[in-house]
Amino acid sequence: MTVHASRKARAVGAALLAIGTVTAALAGCSSGGSASSSASGGGGTYTFWDPYPQYTASSAWANLVASCGTKAGVTIKRTGYDTTALTTQALLAAQQGKSPDILLIDNPVVSTLAKAGALTTTAQNGLSTGSIAANILDAGVINGSTYGVPIGANTLALYYNPKILAAAHVSPSSITSWATLTAALAKVKAIGKKGITFAGINTEEGSFQFLPWFWGAGANLTNLDSPQATAALTLWTNWIKDGYAPNSVIQDTQTTAWQEFQVGNVAFAENGTWQKASAAQMGAQLIQIPGENGGVAPVPTGGEFFTIPVQRDTARYATSAKIVSCLSATSNIVTTDNTLNYIAPTQAGQQAQLAADPTLSSWIAAVHVAKARTGDNLATKYPVISQQMWTAVQKAESGAATPAAALATAQAAATAGLSS
Amino acid sequence: MKAITQERSRIRKTATRHRDGAALAAPSRGAPGSRARRTLRSTQWAAWAFIAPVVAYLVLFYAYPLYRNIDLSIRSYTVASFISGDAPFAGFANYSAIISNPTFAPALINTAIFVFASIALQFAIGLALAVFFHRNFRLAGILRALFLVPWLLPLLVSASTWSWMLNSDSGIVNAFLGALGIGPVDWLTSPTWSLAATTIANVWIGIPFNLVIMYSGLQSISGDVLEAASIDGAGGWQRFWRITFPLLRPVSAITLLLGFVYTLKVFDIIWIMTRGGPATSSTTLAIWSYQLSFGSLLPDFSSAAAVGNVLIIIAVLFALIYIRARHRLEGT
Amino acid sequence: MKRRSAWLTAIGVLFTVVMLFPVYWMINVSLTQTSNMRKSPPNLVPVDGTLAGYSVVLHQQLPYLGASLLIGIGTVLVTLVLAAPAGYSLAKLRPRGGGAVTFLLLIAQMIPAIVMAMGFYAIYIKLGLLDSAWGLIMADSTIAVPFGVLIFSAFMSRIPDELLQAARIDGAGTLRTFGSVVLPLSRNAIITVSLFSFLWAWSDFLFANTLDNGGSLEPITLGIYAYIGNNNQQWNAIMATAVVASIPAAVLLVLAQRYVAAGVTAGAVKD
Repeated sequence: MTVHASRKARAVGAALLAIGTVTAALAGCSSGGSASSSASGGGGTYTFWDPYPQYTASSAWANLVASCGTKAGVTIKRTGYDTTALTTQALLAAQQGKSPDILLIDNPVVSTLAKAGALTTTAQNGLSTGSIAANILDAGVINGSTYGVPIGANTLALYYNPKILAAAHVSPSSITSWATLTAALAKVKAIGKKGITFAGINTEEGSFQFLPWFWGAGANLTNLDSPQATAALTLWTNWIKDGYAPNSVIQDTQTTAWQEFQVGNVAFAENGTWQKASAAQMGAQLIQIPGENGGVAPVPTGGEFFTIPVQRDTARYATSAKIVSCLSATSNIVTTDNTLNYIAPTQAGQQAQLAADPTLSSWIAAVHVAKARTGDNLATKYPVISQQMWTAVQKAESGAATPAAALATAQAAATAGLSS
Repeated sequence: MKAITQERSRIRKTATRHRDGAALAAPSRGAPGSRARRTLRSTQWAAWAFIAPVVAYLVLFYAYPLYRNIDLSIRSYTVASFISGDAPFAGFANYSAIISNPTFAPALINTAIFVFASIALQFAIGLALAVFFHRNFRLAGILRALFLVPWLLPLLVSASTWSWMLNSDSGIVNAFLGALGIGPVDWLTSPTWSLAATTIANVWIGIPFNLVIMYSGLQSISGDVLEAASIDGAGGWQRFWRITFPLLRPVSAITLLLGFVYTLKVFDIIWIMTRGGPATSSTTLAIWSYQLSFGSLLPDFSSAAAVGNVLIIIAVLFALIYIRARHRLEGT
Repeated sequence: MKRRSAWLTAIGVLFTVVMLFPVYWMINVSLTQTSNMRKSPPNLVPVDGTLAGYSVVLHQQLPYLGASLLIGIGTVLVTLVLAAPAGYSLAKLRPRGGGAVTFLLLIAQMIPAIVMAMGFYAIYIKLGLLDSAWGLIMADSTIAVPFGVLIFSAFMSRIPDELLQAARIDGAGTLRTFGSVVLPLSRNAIITVSLFSFLWAWSDFLFANTLDNGGSLEPITLGIYAYIGNNNQQWNAIMATAVVASIPAAVLLVLAQRYVAAGVTAGAVKD
């Protein structure tokens, strides 16, 4: 090695050493990257998994969880996972017998985990569900047993931009059916604005957003290829074809559909309760989603459930139940639901929310008529059906197949999937 | 020209001599037989001592996941039995089920198109850039380093950025096309374009890898040959095709093979951009495997494992073809 | 000559600009207000920009950055320690069954990442390695080790045997030959393998998410998820995280490239 090269080597070595010291310092000077709370509690550590990675260790939610742990006499180790990864993690953990003590999970997944035998019922863990509204609890009820307790409910409605509607001479109260809605969209397009955004993506979000129109036509999830279902899918497909909905809705999540609405050139956005703060900021208002021929369309319930997974040591259930009860006690749950922008699952909670914020009345009304996706005794049939439904929706939206053909294929595939 | 061919055969002879150096060196030293044998034995022992950690590593870290995947695919696992652990033996039922599944053919075709288009473009562009940067001009080093930046980005970010750029309505690419007078292309939402869009993003991400390897390959070619050639009057293009490219053949071969293996596994980019949609227009075998397992609310791990194994088998077949071709090349 | 060099530099800059346009776009998005995210047509420069993303990131992400650097360097060390001797053995020492090992290393790279992650999860939970930096380092090294062995054996096979024979005549054993003759000559290979393994570890998400979610040292790829809530995503913060995460790695890249360029013929074959 030449002298020049070895000097260079020493320089690089020194740089690496410096970097190493800095990184060690950086890594060490934190309380840890995860959202783990360290509350004082004497009786052991309980693990708590939720799909809120946006709430870090210093957030109000993390502090609430920690305080409920302390009240139950234990320390809680909380981890926030990305919601799509949480199902994977829950299954892997259950397989290894290392499930968390409390698992907060999105409601359509509850039936999957229950069928897998990973969750305990209220009979086993002692959770009480008395005051919870039945339609919100429904997603956690499989074959007569209740596997979880909702943290709150959210659902869908039709937000609108008052400025655009005024400019297009559309009165929001005139929108009472699909025909009147489509006519309004035509008027909006005539003044050069876009009509409506929604999430037509090939994920559960897509199914979630399609259901109000599906149910609003009178279709049933057990028959994906009924004429009513075809009518609903034709509605969406025609909106895209006629330019009332932008092409990007085919890949939009609810977030990106909302972002398009936020720019200010779209008249309507089908979106959820969790956008209400953002909507207020931009001056948007809402109406219920209309049924095909009038009335209000049934809307699906969203929101996560507290569940208590199966543990080897069954004595832990009592404490886990205590923690869940603490988190779902009225005062706590109202605070939580206000942070998440959900509606409380109990009558008492909803009234407390209404008292604090009267604009919630339309949302509370929407939640009252909402139904669970896994309801109607569908339970674990729902995921199979939903997957075929969102596939068919995207196929029709993108022109790969006609609505009728796409739904026929979907029904055949769903039947095949359910019988195997 | 004669000088070039002479130089080329001289290099080839030297290379051959080096390759066989270890084997030839011992006997040619003229040492008595037993001493050579002892040296050979202790060399073998040392050889194994040096490679043993990696062999143990292979067994520990790769054999176990592979074994589990095979086990998943030859049994019928439901979500419940995935957790409890006992599932009935199914033989090849899962494999025949996925082959007769209507998604299999599109997935296979999409995988072939995606892989071959990606590798061809990544390699060609990477090689062209390597040749370009090989001429030492000012800032060459820094620019070459900057070309590696796409590699630093987590795939979530690169794939999301490309999704943003290729958005039908608010994407910069369509805005640019619009400025040129071309109508908007539904990159991510049309069955015609979804595979092309994901391929473009994948090529972009793969160029740095090819650039680095081919550049190192170029650097290890002695400059004397090329000097001799230019003295003889060979032009730049001739020099490249007749001398540089053939000398790069072993490096190119391994780059293409590795590119093939890595591109076959590509998952994140397509998943984040289109999730395999619309319909099955951008579904590859890797995407389908994930869709069956963790992309569904009711996972079917056995089928997903079967698809994963089919992927590995295809990769192994191509590796065998590569090795056969290499042997045949070295034999001439 | 100088004019020609300037022309080449100009073309080089043009190529680089085109290649890095998506990176520029990433920076653009990181400075965009949430309400302008889906503007059509989009703003080429962040007019009416916001530093909200960056302030959030700088307040929260530095520990993640440190963890990422640590895990990256750890992966480099593990990869070098495993791959360099193995490469030397395959290139020069010719163990019996070496061909089979090479083939197995190739097969090892064909296993899809999700299969590996599921397997590791099971092993780690039994060994208690979940949520640990070392567990993640070992997992990330599986991406780099087979490739590293390949690079090392390719580079080392080009070292003239005369040098090795000379060392042996001088009385050096295999280990000594490796340390004092082979390794210094393989500087190119060491830099290349270090670069690859660092970059692969730096951008890994799947292993981090499955195996280290909840540990005390989480890499930056998981830190990004703080901005991906279950219903809302804060894209300017996500892109800002990526920008901030790219800077130290880009600096390391520039350093490594310059080192490779200088004295490159020191180890090359010269007749």
